[in-house]
Amino acid sequence: MSLMIFFALLAGVLVGSSRSVNGRLALTTSALMASFWNHAVGFGALVLAGLAGFSLWPEGVGAIPLWAWVGGPLGVVFIASGSWLVARLGAVVTAMMVIAGQMVSGVVIDLIRGLPGSGMMRLAGVLLIIAGMVIAQGRKR
Amino acid sequence: MPEARLQKPSPFLLLAAFGSGALLSLMILCNATVTAHTNGHFSSLAAHGSGMLAALIVLAALPAARRSWRGGAPLWAFSGGLMGAVTVALGTVAVNSPLALSGMIALGLLGQVVYSLLADRFGWFGLPKRRPDGRDALVVGLILAGCLLIVWGGAA
Repeated sequence: MSLMIFFALLAGVLVGSSRSVNGRLALTTSALMASFWNHAVGFGALVLAGLAGFSLWPEGVGAIPLWAWVGGPLGVVFIASGSWLVARLGAVVTAMMVIAGQMVSGVVIDLIRGLPGSGMMRLAGVLLIIAGMVIAQGRKR
Repeated sequence: MPEARLQKPSPFLLLAAFGSGALLSLMILCNATVTAHTNGHFSSLAAHGSGMLAALIVLAALPAARRSWRGGAPLWAFSGGLMGAVTVALGTVAVNSPLALSGMIALGLLGQVVYSLLADRFGWFGLPKRRPDGRDALVVGLILAGCLLIVWGGAA
């Protein structure tokens, strides 16, 4: 269990550090170039992991709906924007705003899909997040 | 190397970051669908492969978007993709453990907050140095509290 806690914490640290590293790469290349390398290096690592035990073309690939393949290109825009923003907003504010967008859009997606949950708690959560964004905007630099 | 300078967090920059977070939600929805039909490894492989191709096509079509392939960057600056691939693997393991999704989200947020406060304070990885202040603490507190309410509200 404590190993799982460590894994979850480490995942959070890696989300932040990969954004910083890509941000550094974008400084001397471009945000899109940093995103390209991020995907190319990750792809290479996953191909190697695949050769070590996972199938590179598992059963069920044919049944994947076409729209789900958009995840990759969306990731390109996500990594490029994060690389560009982290050098301008800093790590804390970038992380907080990305998390805010992820949470608020997650609430909207859950509502659209009709998933159960407490409306009041979600509304309160969204309001706190918006308050945080408004306060962040008051920083001088 | 060009000196990176922090800017005032204008509504444009903040909303751009907010929008990229919304994009992340859609991306996770797509990738989870691929996982449901195959497995976590293939989902990550497919997302990285299709993303690599999409980025390459745009880079080839728009010279303005490429500037330089390597930019004289040190080798470690190309490790972001490795970290991302490991993150996905760790997340898959943790979410299927007794921590469950809400526990993993809460701990993942904590990891991000601690990392980013230290990264700003010490200017890690060649990015601008900036001492986090009381305003940052308030922003972090409000947004984390909002996240926890949403995570628990969804689980209720």
